[in-house]
Amino acid sequence: MPGLPVLKVFVGAATGATAAMIAMALYRAREPVPQDVVFSKGYAVRRFWLALVLAVAVAAFVISIPRFPYPSVTATKHTYTIVAQQYSFTLPATVPADTPVVFAVTSRDVNHGFGIYDPQNRLVGQVQAMPDYVNRLPFEFHLRGRYTVRCLEYCGLGHAAMQESFEVR
Amino acid sequence: MTNRRIWAWAVLIATIVFALAPLYHSGDVSIPVHHFLHVVMLAGAALSALLFTAPVPLRQGKATWLVAAVVTPILAMFLMWPSEYALFERSPLLHAAQHLGLVGLGFITGYAGQRYAAGIGIVASLSLLLMGLLAIGGYGTSPPPQVLSPAAASVAQNQEPRPDVALGAAIFAQNCAACHGVQGQGGVGPSLIGEGTRKNFAQAVAWIKHPKPPMPELYPQTLNESDVRNVAAFVEALK
Amino acid sequence: MWLYLGTGLAIFFLMVVIGIVLRAEQAGWIPLDQGWFYALLSLHGIGMITAIAIAGLGTLWYFVYREIALDARIAYIAYGFFAAGVICVVVSVIPGEYGALWTMLYPLPFVGTYWPSWATGVWLVGNILVMIGFVVWCMQVLAGLLARYGGLRGVLGIDYVFHNHEFAEQHREPPPPQMFAAAITAIDGIISSSLGMTYGVAMIVHWLDPSVAINPLWAKNLIYQFGHTFANLTIYIAVAGLYVGLALCTKRKYHTSIPLVIGWWGTLLFVILAYFHHLYMDFVQPQVLQYIGEISSYLAAVPVVVVTVFSGILLVHRSGLKWGLGAMFLYAGMMGWVAGGIAAVLDATIPVNFDLHNTLWVPGHFHTYLLEGVLLFIIGWLFVSLEQRSGALSPLIVRWLAGVGIFGGGALFLLSFYIAGAQGVPRRYAVEPAPGPQMANFATVGALILLTGLMVVAVEAFRLRRLPESAELG
Repeated sequence: MPGLPVLKVFVGAATGATAAMIAMALYRAREPVPQDVVFSKGYAVRRFWLALVLAVAVAAFVISIPRFPYPSVTATKHTYTIVAQQYSFTLPATVPADTPVVFAVTSRDVNHGFGIYDPQNRLVGQVQAMPDYVNRLPFEFHLRGRYTVRCLEYCGLGHAAMQESFEVR
Repeated sequence: MTNRRIWAWAVLIATIVFALAPLYHSGDVSIPVHHFLHVVMLAGAALSALLFTAPVPLRQGKATWLVAAVVTPILAMFLMWPSEYALFERSPLLHAAQHLGLVGLGFITGYAGQRYAAGIGIVASLSLLLMGLLAIGGYGTSPPPQVLSPAAASVAQNQEPRPDVALGAAIFAQNCAACHGVQGQGGVGPSLIGEGTRKNFAQAVAWIKHPKPPMPELYPQTLNESDVRNVAAFVEALK
Repeated sequence: MWLYLGTGLAIFFLMVVIGIVLRAEQAGWIPLDQGWFYALLSLHGIGMITAIAIAGLGTLWYFVYREIALDARIAYIAYGFFAAGVICVVVSVIPGEYGALWTMLYPLPFVGTYWPSWATGVWLVGNILVMIGFVVWCMQVLAGLLARYGGLRGVLGIDYVFHNHEFAEQHREPPPPQMFAAAITAIDGIISSSLGMTYGVAMIVHWLDPSVAINPLWAKNLIYQFGHTFANLTIYIAVAGLYVGLALCTKRKYHTSIPLVIGWWGTLLFVILAYFHHLYMDFVQPQVLQYIGEISSYLAAVPVVVVTVFSGILLVHRSGLKWGLGAMFLYAGMMGWVAGGIAAVLDATIPVNFDLHNTLWVPGHFHTYLLEGVLLFIIGWLFVSLEQRSGALSPLIVRWLAGVGIFGGGALFLLSFYIAGAQGVPRRYAVEPAPGPQMANFATVGALILLTGLMVVAVEAFRLRRLPESAELG
């Protein structure tokens, strides 16, 4: 899921929760009541609250599963080998659009991150590049143009400079 | 002797006999299996220590016991040093001595923990065994580097004896520009403009092959001999 | 307690200054060599976590000590290990310029480094010393709890939950809430330190003998298990201050209840398993572990919102408490915890993580936890004890200054992380792509305001300390 909608959800939810907590603290604060009164009402509410929280957790979990980026197919006609190293990537020059592709990503030395940024500089996907292992990232590009790859795992002095690009057409 | 003490001695003796295996058994085992066998020894030693020291009144003892129980598992992990296996395996006596060391450390872990406070010996022993079992997963072993299809680099495999500046430019763009700038003007790495006045061709080649950190060593894994010569020629020509 | 608290908070302040330097460099306000950026970032990371842990461990030890006799000498020995470890780590950075960051991923400290090899070794030794100190602390506290409450059954409240009627009939009391914080800290602390120490030894062995192979995936699992759990535990360490402090401020009692105990069992389990969320983008991890990571990360939030925060709200609701800095910080800490938790739970959702992993969102969420959660619980408790001791509350102007500084400045500082992260700006970049540097401007301003708020708080704390002890104690 891209970042900006998530940001809106977060700001909304965090503001809402904070406001609710402040309200609970200030509500009729000048009229104190004994602890038992508050707690017995509170415990009754809590049952519903617990059920709601658990329901949201399970629902979110179930909804997220089909959207996992993990590969179920390991090889397609378009498998590109990506080798990350201090401080560059070997990339294909072009990648076809509207075609399922697989990036087979590894590293020659330390952990790197293969982060794909679209022509509008939005992060659209990533996978780790680890030495001695190959991570297979299935992807499909629809927006055509120049995509940038940035390193998304700290790898040393050149980490911030580690950037290459490829064309989708 | 109570039942418990009999069991304690039995476990300890069995563990020691098992530990002395290099003296009467020869044969290679892989590192993960070897780690596992060491864990068995540690478990036996710790168990016997727990049997010896139980029951203990619930109280808290001296700091020395606690520190010992915490530090001995770390020492045991050092003693399980994977590359030394080859050394130990050459001499059965050294190998057996290593094992006895592990038995000793395992025993101290359990014993010192219990002497400090009831239950802590069990906790410390479990921590020790957890560490040993974890070692099986990757302490001294790693999958072989993946065999990859030739990387889609735009570098031709050229065997020309004369260095090719044009090819060098391509290599530079691919491997060096990120730190030295697209025109060699510098960035994370220093500017290479006028490098020809600072290093001659042979020095440039030598530097690329064996650079000082933070410059990464790209030869021979990424760049072969002719790649190095080509890019050195390109750099030397930067003005 | 004061030794731990004082040391922890002092180091914390220094780390705030370093943090501001880093953010200012990213904003382009000050020049800093990139090597030093990463070295200071390494120190900032490990320094913050260790400092806040030390401060919290001091207060938690004190809460246990009030009910159970603990040998103070062992606490000093643990402190000694912490101090030795901290000194080693500092030396490895200044002058060593060690720059592999605190969650160093093998093979990083060994390949392509710009610092001398001795700095790596000293850093690693320092880490192990800190871990030894932590395990000593955990085992001492656990031993005390086991002795007092009758073994693990008693400590974990198993009989209290499953045989509640007989328990009540025998007039037995379960451990008070803060003891559960101590127990879970000790148990999870020992478990994750076992992993951390295994990793530490493996790294030192490789440093001494590079021919020793180490599996990078295994290494990643170990370091993230230890790192995540240690950082997460700092909140649970500090939460004891919330339990005790809020009860004192509101003059109400905070009891152990069955939901509380079950909630802590959940924390015990899910904090250990949640760490898989750091490996979501390692597709070679067995799939089942990714699933476990996501559901554990979600479920770890349940005891927080259903038990601790909920009860905290109930304690405060219509209690007639006076809002000194203590109560203010404790309550606000809960809000920070919830906010940081929302950001965390979002990032723990794998399809979301695909776009936020290793962006500035990550430091956004954990800075929220640490600055507006853990830190506030700790200084909240600090002020509650000062207020109780002197019988005085802080003047309104001080409360406003502190509040605006810490919450206003804090919000500005944190939002810039979240906004930049949502736009894909990577973390750990000495030179960020747009809009990173622009956001860093706001962040630096926010952090400076935050620092001002913290200084007001510090001055006020010393002022309250100097007041005479009041005859009436809460």
